[in-house]
Amino acid sequence: MKTQKRKNCPEVYNISFIRKDLNLFVNLSGNFGLQNLMVFRNEINNEIYKQKLESVTIDFSGVCYLDSAAALALVQIEKEAAQQNIQCRLINLNDKSKGIFSVIREDNLINLSSQLERSQDGFMYNLIERRRLPSSTEKTQDSFIFRLVERRGLPNQSGKSYKDFIWQIGQTSGQIAKDFANFVTFIGELLVAFLYIIRHPKSLRGKDVLFYIHRAGVDGLPIVAMIGLLMGLIIAFMSFLQFKMVGANIYVPSLVSFAMIKELGPIMTAILVAGRSGSAFAAEIGTMMVNEEVDALHTMGFEPIRFLAVPKVIATIIVVPILTVYADLFGIVGGLIIGVTSLDLTLKTYVTQSMKTIQVFDVVTSIIKAAVFAGLISAIGCQRGFQVRSGAQDVGKFTTSAVVMAIFMIVLADSIFAIMFYYVK
Amino acid sequence: MDTQTKAPIIIVKDLAARFGNNIVFENVNFNVYEGEVLVIVGASGCGKSTLLKIMIGLQKPYSGQVLYQGMDIVSAEETELNQYRQNIGVLFQSSALFGSMTIRENIELPLQEYTDIDQATIDSIIRMKLGMVNLAGYENHQPSELSGGMKKRAGIARAMAMDPRVLFFDELSAGLDPVTAAELDDLIIKTEEALGTTMVIVTHELESIYKIAHRVLMLDKEAKGIIAEGKPLELKEQATDPRVRSFFLRQKPDASDEQRFYVS
Repeated sequence: MKTQKRKNCPEVYNISFIRKDLNLFVNLSGNFGLQNLMVFRNEINNEIYKQKLESVTIDFSGVCYLDSAAALALVQIEKEAAQQNIQCRLINLNDKSKGIFSVIREDNLINLSSQLERSQDGFMYNLIERRRLPSSTEKTQDSFIFRLVERRGLPNQSGKSYKDFIWQIGQTSGQIAKDFANFVTFIGELLVAFLYIIRHPKSLRGKDVLFYIHRAGVDGLPIVAMIGLLMGLIIAFMSFLQFKMVGANIYVPSLVSFAMIKELGPIMTAILVAGRSGSAFAAEIGTMMVNEEVDALHTMGFEPIRFLAVPKVIATIIVVPILTVYADLFGIVGGLIIGVTSLDLTLKTYVTQSMKTIQVFDVVTSIIKAAVFAGLISAIGCQRGFQVRSGAQDVGKFTTSAVVMAIFMIVLADSIFAIMFYYVK
Repeated sequence: MDTQTKAPIIIVKDLAARFGNNIVFENVNFNVYEGEVLVIVGASGCGKSTLLKIMIGLQKPYSGQVLYQGMDIVSAEETELNQYRQNIGVLFQSSALFGSMTIRENIELPLQEYTDIDQATIDSIIRMKLGMVNLAGYENHQPSELSGGMKKRAGIARAMAMDPRVLFFDELSAGLDPVTAAELDDLIIKTEEALGTTMVIVTHELESIYKIAHRVLMLDKEAKGIIAEGKPLELKEQATDPRVRSFFLRQKPDASDEQRFYVS
């Protein structure tokens, strides 16, 4: 129907302006719609504000197509003109255009009701009169026009941004505090679930644990090994460039193994697992929240945390220390490749030098660290998943948040460990 | 069915629910009688789903009681609540089948958790339940391989896995074509007749209501509570309340300027 009507209507529009003293006549003809909205609005506005004016009359007699956006733009022109004390009149509307104006009128009238006195004989006045709308301005803030004005960067209330800023600080702080409280609550619930499983070992879903061990561990091994190897290569190469200046090549193996086992192995592995598995946990549980699957678990009498989170946490805690040992090992192998090929060290010297540096204590702390990181990653991933309330957007938001939060917590925990192990040793 | 002779299985007393400071409903009182099909109707946003969520123990009300055989599930401890949950089955609006499991695993989950029935018997129970909902042979399918109507039926099979005393359905026929919805109605009637399970159904599909409901409870957003209760046909023919009439006659209330068109 729409296309049929537009058949006899050219795709273009034409505007002619006639000035008489302080009055402007705008003759619209043709097609006014979303496509040419910006162009014709600017054209009309330019003409209106070129010289001083008292009144503008917009004649619709030649308009063959008008959509709601174009009508809204014309109402906006009228509104802005009214602010400059220019009377604006819309005349010769056909029935269809009137229909469109009547659809968009409600919100605009609330916006425009203040100009009631000014444009007594205007089109808007007639509309307002007919509709007997209260001159409330309550709805102005969230009305479509207001948003349009804001988006277009047109004049707006000033001094609001400063208040907004403080409001936002408060809002964000509140959010962070709430987040933290949520997380602590979740950890508590997780511990309760663990206690339950210790007392009722049969209730642990072993199949799920194995599944997630496979997902997080076996599937993650190639990337962890590769990153470990490259880290070892890089450290060996960079330190060799420095050490060769003082002829201290022999210390490269020590540096590589020390750095890999003490810091880089656990941290790199944890960050990779956070990216691979922490995000997957959040997305998985989040989607289940959206699909009411978590509610279904609840009503079937299954504790969702025990059912969904515990297997993931256990699997991650088992797997990450193993992955970390792999990462350490591959790091040392990476260093060894550089050592043997460009440092003139024999395989044997490299290995003995590395062994000299590494102590059992370091390996043990590396594994403990990895296990703690694993707990943090999986707990945060699951907790973020349970925070999802509705929709795909929430899933994305909390998945991102799971990874960011996990990486932050990993680094924080690592700093605490650095200090703790220094004193323990 | 004459509800007067039956004993109430669920008693809802002075129930009130709020979202923040918004009152969803208050002073909600009604009974669910054993063996009846109670349909809760009302326009969107009147709190039907909230009421259902409270009745299945998913959400806490602002105040009031929901008594299941004398036990208040609002104030019940988690262990008591789990006891209650084993006596009810719920079909969610989106069916809520576990996507990572097959249909068989979905149904056997509660059976494995709460009973010591051997696997062979569980398998035959699953076959029976799937047969009851016309899904025989779909044991090893993933939920994603089923159509919307089939998912609903699989959901019903799962809800019935433990032979619950009360079945709850949230938006039974939402998003289904008329034929599939009618099939579901028949399934409900068949199940009710065969097993005598009490059912609480949230829906606003008029045809379903006339077909399956023994009793209808109507909630209203403005009144913030129940505005009508009774047999569906009686409500249609005898109700004097314009809100009830307009619902059952499928008409807009004749308020002329009530509904305004806003751009936003």
